[in-house]
Amino acid sequence: MGEVALNRLSKRYPGSSDFAVKEVSLTVADGEFMVLLGPSGCGKSSVLRMIAGLEPITGGTIAIDGKVINGVAARDRDIAMVFQSYALYPHMDVFDNLAFGLRRRDVPRPEIERRVRNVAAKLGLTPFLKRKPHALSGGQRQRVALGRAIVRDPKVFLFDEPLSNLDAGLRVTTRNELIRQQHEIGTTTIYVTHDQVEAMTMGDRICIMDKGEVMQIGPPLSVYRDPANTFVARFLGSPPMNLVPAVVETNAAPRLRIGGIVLPAANWPADRLHACGGKGLFGIRPEDIYEASPRPGDDRVRPVPATVIAVEPLGAETLLLLSIEGTAEEVTARSGRETRLRPGERTTVMLDTAAAHLFDAATTRAIERTTP
Amino acid sequence: MEAPSHLWFGYVRRSPLILFVLVYTIISGGPFLWVVSMSLRTTPEIFASPYTLPTRLHWEKFAEAWTRSNYSTYFWNSTIVVVTAVVLLTVIGAMVAHCLARYRFRGSRLVRFVILTGLILPPQLLILSLFQILLEFDLYNTLTGLILVYVSGHLAVTVYILEGFFAQIPQDLFDAARMDGYSDFEIFRKITLPIGTPALFTTVTLNFIILWNEFLYAVVLLTEDDKRTLPLGIMHFMGSHQLDVGMLATGLMIAIAPIIFLYALFSETMIKGMTAGAVR
Repeated sequence: MGEVALNRLSKRYPGSSDFAVKEVSLTVADGEFMVLLGPSGCGKSSVLRMIAGLEPITGGTIAIDGKVINGVAARDRDIAMVFQSYALYPHMDVFDNLAFGLRRRDVPRPEIERRVRNVAAKLGLTPFLKRKPHALSGGQRQRVALGRAIVRDPKVFLFDEPLSNLDAGLRVTTRNELIRQQHEIGTTTIYVTHDQVEAMTMGDRICIMDKGEVMQIGPPLSVYRDPANTFVARFLGSPPMNLVPAVVETNAAPRLRIGGIVLPAANWPADRLHACGGKGLFGIRPEDIYEASPRPGDDRVRPVPATVIAVEPLGAETLLLLSIEGTAEEVTARSGRETRLRPGERTTVMLDTAAAHLFDAATTRAIERTTP
Repeated sequence: MEAPSHLWFGYVRRSPLILFVLVYTIISGGPFLWVVSMSLRTTPEIFASPYTLPTRLHWEKFAEAWTRSNYSTYFWNSTIVVVTAVVLLTVIGAMVAHCLARYRFRGSRLVRFVILTGLILPPQLLILSLFQILLEFDLYNTLTGLILVYVSGHLAVTVYILEGFFAQIPQDLFDAARMDGYSDFEIFRKITLPIGTPALFTTVTLNFIILWNEFLYAVVLLTEDDKRTLPLGIMHFMGSHQLDVGMLATGLMIAIAPIIFLYALFSETMIKGMTAGAVR
């Protein structure tokens, strides 16, 4: 068992007037893989360190399995943590690194031996048990750090950007290895990262944070598809979602006016459109802008005149930087590698308004679409 | 033909450096070798020809120096005082340095400031007040008194060296050990001390050498002959009317021996400790 519940958790560091973490409430179910995602300085590591017991809590509570652990010392919380730097003890060999936590817990010697060897075998570390950390490669060090957490068989795993010190290739294999291990062991996991690919691929759910506050919590794809606000919309996805100021007209049939273009606003409930006071932000992901309509005949795919500003061929795909007629905004479109468009060319692109988003310009919150 | 001329050029280019190292070696090693040579010659031999090498090695002079003038007592006193002081300095210094490097507590900066001001106080300034204090506590003319003076006098530099090293140990290691269930003191013992070993060797060697040679405090704070330490004992060979140069050199060699031994043992670790972090 290992359900972690944060209730209005806050953190203010001594000497600072701002809260690093502001009333974060979040429940991680037993066995769940939760990813905390956000830019650096958003407070995600502070949350993790408070759960670990390494940082005093300013306000709110942390509970594991319903029991509040605010006053419990780090060593008595039954939580294991993998650090970004791995934090391997440099003066101990791999075996001792793995056994260090068990020795303190008075696990009998033969049992320590058995558990360490099991974990080492599972992670492919058996040949390196007598080596010191400095004689290991980055990937091996990472596995020792993971092994040190696994061997303790804790209630909760905490990961603080554990892959950021690996090179790109190793990062992918280690990521998959981590996912596999977590599924096998089934221990509740809280994973901090600023890498959205890690977040999208690893988490059962992701929690996006900014400036110490929770922006949105949900399964990765649904957060991607239905961002709760403009921050989430811009933060998830690469290149990020295009956001263009739009005038919301609610007189007769609701419409959006973007520069010289008029788009129907039937996707959104009229009362919500009314509430945003005429000013909205129209959001569309680069992959929802096409050179040719993907569904000919569907009138929700609208032609829009545009000028090509730049063409960025990435190999598998080509990014087009476009200027929409009548607006100052530039938008990015994701196109096939076969595109023949050249900078300076005038063209007509197809906007899939069925996949578009609308945000209240004042609050930056999303206006939820009517469910069809 | 190309290669030798290059080689030649290399020597020429480096010749100032080689010359400097040569002169430096002669300046620092010469007097030492001279004392070694004198320690094995008798005083008349030395007066006859000061700079020649020994014709016959008078090893018996070492036994004579040891027995003739209370040298065993001085050596023993020095050993007690210096070993005790170095052990205390290392233990206390490491604890203080660990706390200053790891914990931010109320007044931590003031504590560091107060300790480190000890670095800039010249020993001559303190000697009268120390004399007065030791008298009041009945510690004047005792080895315990001298040990306490040595520990207090050298704590600042010990803390200074150790704190610099300990502060470079990544915080994550301490956090990991805390998560692994270790208390603050256990973390000090099992993480800070083993990782800080090079720095500890540095302070042990440094303090040992300095205290083994310490003269000023010893001469003021110890008066009885059977309490004296080695540097004072060497004075004995310098009578007021005559100077027994040969025995003086032999006595010096006995005094220097432990330091050479210690330095040979720890010099590599010590240099590692002093330069740690410089190239990281």
